[in-house]
Amino acid sequence: MVFCAASHTARGDWTIATSAALSHDNNVGSAQDLASVVADSNVAVSASLLQQLSIGGGFSFAAGGDLSGQVYEHLSGLNNASLDGVLFLKKKWGVGAFAPWTRAGISIGRANYDDGYRDATLYRASLEAGKRLNERWNLWAKYQFEHNRAAPAATELYGVSGDVFSLRGRTFKSGVQFSVSDRVSLGVGSILRHGDVVSTTQPGLYIFSYSKAVAPDPTFGPGAYAYRLDGTTFGARLGADYALSAHNLIGCGFQRLETHGQGSNNYGDSMSDLTWNYRF
Amino acid sequence: MMNKITVILGIALAGVAAHAAELHVAVKDHRGKNVADAVVLAVAVDPRNAQHSHPPPDAVDQVDKQFVPYVKPIFVGSTVHFPNSDNIRHQVYSFSAAKKFELPLYAGTNAPPVVFDKPGVVVLGCNIHDWMIGYIYVSETPFFAKTGPLGTVAITDMPPGEYSVRIWHPSMDRAEETTTRQINVSAEAAASAEWQIGLKPSIHVPRVSGAASASYP
Repeated sequence: MVFCAASHTARGDWTIATSAALSHDNNVGSAQDLASVVADSNVAVSASLLQQLSIGGGFSFAAGGDLSGQVYEHLSGLNNASLDGVLFLKKKWGVGAFAPWTRAGISIGRANYDDGYRDATLYRASLEAGKRLNERWNLWAKYQFEHNRAAPAATELYGVSGDVFSLRGRTFKSGVQFSVSDRVSLGVGSILRHGDVVSTTQPGLYIFSYSKAVAPDPTFGPGAYAYRLDGTTFGARLGADYALSAHNLIGCGFQRLETHGQGSNNYGDSMSDLTWNYRF
Repeated sequence: MMNKITVILGIALAGVAAHAAELHVAVKDHRGKNVADAVVLAVAVDPRNAQHSHPPPDAVDQVDKQFVPYVKPIFVGSTVHFPNSDNIRHQVYSFSAAKKFELPLYAGTNAPPVVFDKPGVVVLGCNIHDWMIGYIYVSETPFFAKTGPLGTVAITDMPPGEYSVRIWHPSMDRAEETTTRQINVSAEAAASAEWQIGLKPSIHVPRVSGAASASYP
């Protein structure tokens, strides 16, 4: 309602952005057992349309949507398309590029996979804060609650739930971005996540005993099972961007995640990516 | 009677123009590359040559979420309008000592003009689009101009005489006073001079976010 009222007095700023990424993940299924580790590459594309509305007092609303898709080289069951609706309220605490800011956001989306048992409705709520120290240094932090709601698998194994892909988690990210020049910037980020994790591996009694849900996961082969566990993930990300123009950016990144699953069902995961972003 | 005055004034002004001098300036960086957007200022040593006319209103536009022009030299006391040619709202501000101001969110040409009554550099920003940056150089002398893409500029209609000439650029690696030279301009032939200035690597707030940014992944 506030959004509608504000639109009578203000003209919004449409932001249209597109991105593409080529990524390689050395442990797509988050498996602990080396024999179950599967690496794969994927191409992801996304387009987002956001209407930003400045309403004075340092407040701005943004509402819009993201349409994205991902195609895997080998694990075609993971190919997916998703649509998200997002709403943000941002407050800038002062005037100028170096004023600190906070932002609260919610989003609701739907992801559909080639292997439909992964389909899920995605709910997100986030709080972010940031401060640019000067033209070179930019700091930020983000807390996010996420809930993926998937249709439970029909089969139950020994009374254990088949609802593997319904996940809840809380993630805290923070980072710093450094501009080397007007075209080149570097970023370092950290990730801490606690909540449900899904590990797809060959059947095992040990991981089964700590799982909250289990279901066959034929995306990774006929004998593979997906296990939902409690887990804590620590990670770091390094990234570099090169601005081709004021609107156009290419970049590369590397991310390493270490997850400590319940019952020492631990696994590691490394991802590297090449990215392209265009903002109209 | 009025017609007579107009004719006399016209003849007098034509006489001044006929005896006016010109200064041609080229600005290059240390690698010999042409420097655009450098402001050249010529201060008359003889105060009688420092004409003080009421400057006409000027403007700095906002196009595609950028200030246009990027550098705008004006004479002290000038009034500057900030039209917004984008189809969105901007909030223009400056924290600079030479002029502190803030225009509340506006679209179109609704913003009140700003009078720049103190010489110096005024850095412009937009509180909505942090990457927007622009410069207004408020000149204490009426003899100033900005270099074009070829790094050259001509200051015309100068009374002949001696001038302290200096250069300013947003990325210059030293104080503008250190660039000062004494140059004599005469009505007979245009004076010319070349400056070589060092430029610091320019760092601006980025417009697009990517792999190194807050929002990724």
